[in-house]
Amino acid sequence: MLTSLYVEGQSWFHRVPVRAKLAALVVLSVALFAMNAPLLLLPAFLLCGALYLSLGMTARQAFSRVGFVLFTILVLAGINLFLVPLPQVIALILRLTTLVLFAAAVTATTTIGAFMDEITILLKPLERVGLLRAADVSLALGLVLRFVPDIFARYQAISEAHRARGLPIRPMTIIGPLIILTLKDADTIAAAIDARGFRRQ
Amino acid sequence: MNTRDLVLIALFAAIVVVLGLIPPITLGFIPVPITAQSMGVMLAGCIIGAKRGALSFLLFILLVAIGLPVLSGGRGGLAVFAGPSGGFILGWAVAAYVTGLIAERFVHPGNSEARQFVGFFLASVIGGIVVLYAIGVPWLSAVTGTPLMAAATGSLVFIPGDLLKAAIATLAARTIYAGYPLLPARA
Repeated sequence: MLTSLYVEGQSWFHRVPVRAKLAALVVLSVALFAMNAPLLLLPAFLLCGALYLSLGMTARQAFSRVGFVLFTILVLAGINLFLVPLPQVIALILRLTTLVLFAAAVTATTTIGAFMDEITILLKPLERVGLLRAADVSLALGLVLRFVPDIFARYQAISEAHRARGLPIRPMTIIGPLIILTLKDADTIAAAIDARGFRRQ
Repeated sequence: MNTRDLVLIALFAAIVVVLGLIPPITLGFIPVPITAQSMGVMLAGCIIGAKRGALSFLLFILLVAIGLPVLSGGRGGLAVFAGPSGGFILGWAVAAYVTGLIAERFVHPGNSEARQFVGFFLASVIGGIVVLYAIGVPWLSAVTGTPLMAAATGSLVFIPGDLLKAAIATLAARTIYAGYPLLPARA
């Protein structure tokens, strides 16, 4: 039900370690916001665009992933036309589009497993001061992936029940039962986790 | 944090994912369909409280960041944070926290039903609208260079829809509070 946005592939960008990609994303965002000249931003835009399109996605796939964000950028650029000078608007479009394309490239070439390994390392300092446990974060993530299909099936059952009774499907009559039925499972699930000794408590 | 709190946090994040999968709700009297997911912040704060609600949304944000298409319309990945509305998504965690704080403060089991409605509505409006926009709008202005005043005036278009969401979230939260109360903060 939840397929990750990772794209199988063997491009060179797939082989770059996650940490390097995330660091590059941070450096790029700082650099892009420091640059204002469209002439400097244009090469960056072309490079990131070429990188994004070289990852082995069809044009339609590539567009559908970033289309919505690009649309909001264009809408805001349209509004900005009336408020700020034209070169700034061009810089804005190039800067944000470049950043979005690079971010989408990182997402498309990194598996969930690789991200989680990196996050576990990033959480280490918090774990040391006793704020949270990295293992808890992975456990919670696993629980979400495990229960989304169940909750969706429950949503479908509730809407069928509405239909069987000839009731219109309204948020008010759906959200209540959906949330109560789901959260009522919490005790059982927590007991099951503790029984297996996952959290060593 | 005990295991039950951890499970509640995860289950609520999963509910928010499912709210993004169900088709947008159309109401007769306004033209724009409402995505159920955008009520998630208000619901999280009002139903599982400040701390668990905020952690639930941090988990949800993590799901988005590692490339799961959990936002309504199947969006996700790091690109949404790089876009102009990234501040609204990061702001969800804070908004859920404030919503929860207000709900915990004003809604008690002994209150009259009307007072509970008022408490949940206030919490949803202040946390889910005021706080969220206070983070999202300056972020948008900083990222796009749109003057802050213009960005703020422009966002007023969304306020009527948001008030309607707050009303729906209030009704839902009060139903759940009557049926299966979890708000008394334990996390």
